[in-house]
Amino acid sequence: MAKYADKVDLYDDRGRVFASKVPIEALSPLQNPAIQQIVSFVKQSVSVNLEGVQKALDTGEVGGKWCIIRGRSLKLDLVKDANSIADSMKKALQVSKDDDTEVKVLKGGKHLLVRVPAKRMNAGVEYTTGATSTAAALCCTIIDNCKVNIWDADLVHAAVWGRYPETMEMLGGNVSSLLSVPQQNEGMGYALRNVPAAHIALITKKNAMNAAALSSIMEQAAMFEMGDAIGPFERLHLLGLAYQGLNVNNLVYDITKENAKTGTLGDVVASTVKRAIADGVIKPIEKTASGFTPYTTDDLNKWNAYTAAGMLAGIMVTCGSCRSMQHTPSVFIYFNDLVERETGLPGCDFGRVAGTGVEMAFFSHSIYGGGNPAVFHGNHIVTRHSKGFTIPCVAAAVALDAGTTIYTPEKISGAVGEVLSEVPELREPLRFVNEAAVKIKGGV
Amino acid sequence: MANYKPQFYPGKSKVSANRKKYLDPSYKLEKLRTVSDDDVVKLMGHRVPGEAYKSTHPPLAEMGEPACPIRELVEPTPGAKAGDRIRYIQFTDSVYFAPVPPYMRAWMGHTRYRGVDIGVLSGRVPLEARERDLEKIAKELVETEIFDPARSAMRGATVHGHSLRLDENGLMFDMLKRYIFDKKSGEVVYVKDQIGVPLDKPIAVGKPIKEDELRKRTSEFRCDGDAFRDDKELVSFIERLHMLRTEAGFDPNKVKGM
Repeated sequence: MAKYADKVDLYDDRGRVFASKVPIEALSPLQNPAIQQIVSFVKQSVSVNLEGVQKALDTGEVGGKWCIIRGRSLKLDLVKDANSIADSMKKALQVSKDDDTEVKVLKGGKHLLVRVPAKRMNAGVEYTTGATSTAAALCCTIIDNCKVNIWDADLVHAAVWGRYPETMEMLGGNVSSLLSVPQQNEGMGYALRNVPAAHIALITKKNAMNAAALSSIMEQAAMFEMGDAIGPFERLHLLGLAYQGLNVNNLVYDITKENAKTGTLGDVVASTVKRAIADGVIKPIEKTASGFTPYTTDDLNKWNAYTAAGMLAGIMVTCGSCRSMQHTPSVFIYFNDLVERETGLPGCDFGRVAGTGVEMAFFSHSIYGGGNPAVFHGNHIVTRHSKGFTIPCVAAAVALDAGTTIYTPEKISGAVGEVLSEVPELREPLRFVNEAAVKIKGGV
Repeated sequence: MANYKPQFYPGKSKVSANRKKYLDPSYKLEKLRTVSDDDVVKLMGHRVPGEAYKSTHPPLAEMGEPACPIRELVEPTPGAKAGDRIRYIQFTDSVYFAPVPPYMRAWMGHTRYRGVDIGVLSGRVPLEARERDLEKIAKELVETEIFDPARSAMRGATVHGHSLRLDENGLMFDMLKRYIFDKKSGEVVYVKDQIGVPLDKPIAVGKPIKEDELRKRTSEFRCDGDAFRDDKELVSFIERLHMLRTEAGFDPNKVKGM
């Protein structure tokens, strides 16, 4: 028996209906198998820059830029031997013969995409197993396959692990996971939020709808992990994920389409309010003396979901029409300011998104340093205040940018985003989550 | 919901009505002066009139775009299509009955213009857009009733000090002396661009709006004009909004029919 009565229609990223009357809980991170698989893949998937290891060994530049150990060099043709390295790594990582271990050779051997088996992950309590076992397996493989002697093994370690354990993270290393080391999380349950928007945009190959979906899945799954999406707040987050991230009832797509050719952010606000009135989410109360009509609602959670979806549509229209990511904080503040003044009801996340926008505007426009929106994430000191509703918009905006920034998403993400885009569930989350929701809808 | 019409702003005061008017894109802003296209370009100082637009990326049609349903759906602005740089115009507004206060610039910019990035800071409001889009927007911002040559100013850098007092001609203090009052013509004349680089020829931006006219047009609340607290409808609107924000943060399920 479902806890909540809400049923929604599922749509794809092009506004085509996929399924009708699906219980909202079929989209919950607690129930949807695809979301759970995405979360697992985020933990299990590790990117190896084999070309980087080869170069580091060759030049002795290990542990980060300018960190060169003169006189130390190993000439190993790792890129050429990528297939045999992948085979050996797979054997090292496998727990049992037919488990889900995978080592995929990409870009002619320059990169490897590693999936560490779930069994290995489950034997520990930390998600770092993914990165540590991959790095260790790679070291052992290089030493064995390339017959590296005891005197050079340390250089292999430094080329793979970087400056770790001198540093907290693998600084200058060539093994990377989407997730940062736990010490870099700002609080409990922040792991899934500590992923810059640049990675998300590249993993989803700059499809703005999928970028928003993947980001929303990770942000809202984190809400459950952080202790936010529970009790009176669970439905708020479920609706937020569904309406903003997963385009249910085609709200994001419809509002974007309505304003795609000539619309302004103000027009997007009007479309959002119009739809909320038409769907019975808000209703007018008595006119004031000036003729202004304030609105009220019996379902503030759903109104919040509508504002979250409208705000994402505002990003699609504003950043989309300018093909630029920098408008993101401006949309955060003024979509909410305008929607509040239009209705008299609180904006998205009850003021937290507008507040986040103010800070983000300062730190994304070279006023107090910072960086472009591609570096921001839900664990960032400036953008962590909204509970999962801002970062999906940032990811979508980064996806829509045509190249207006000095530090491009490609430069910020390095190889990680590109390598992980090989995982279909991460690249096209909307499709997989919809399919999984339909499969389980009778059982929730 | 065919009956729904955007209402933009609550309140019963004259200032609220002005805010509502300026925010409504169907209201055509009254043109009060003419500044030529070339002069607008010179005042901003990003390029020389007639010079080709510099680009930050190739035109969209040449570079090709990733397969994205939103990119297919959303029409890029002319500047985005061409790959123009993103440039800015930045305004400073006096606290003494200027036509618009900083926040209004942001709200209004987003209801009237597409693809703009606006920020409100302590005394300055930059509006950023692709260069050729910006030039069109800037012209309207300078030529119409929302700009007063004396109480609004284009200042790309060193903006502050404007709120302290007006000089003997009613102009805002400007540390870089970008503009002067021409007593002969009675007009405000820019001798430097918004950044403070001297112009080859001064550019006149018209006569200051008269005090009583400014008080009619202003969308700024002031104790010695239309006080915010006197607009009871607006005050209760804002109070309700903040109460709802707070109550919703405590438990959104308990906020019903309020």
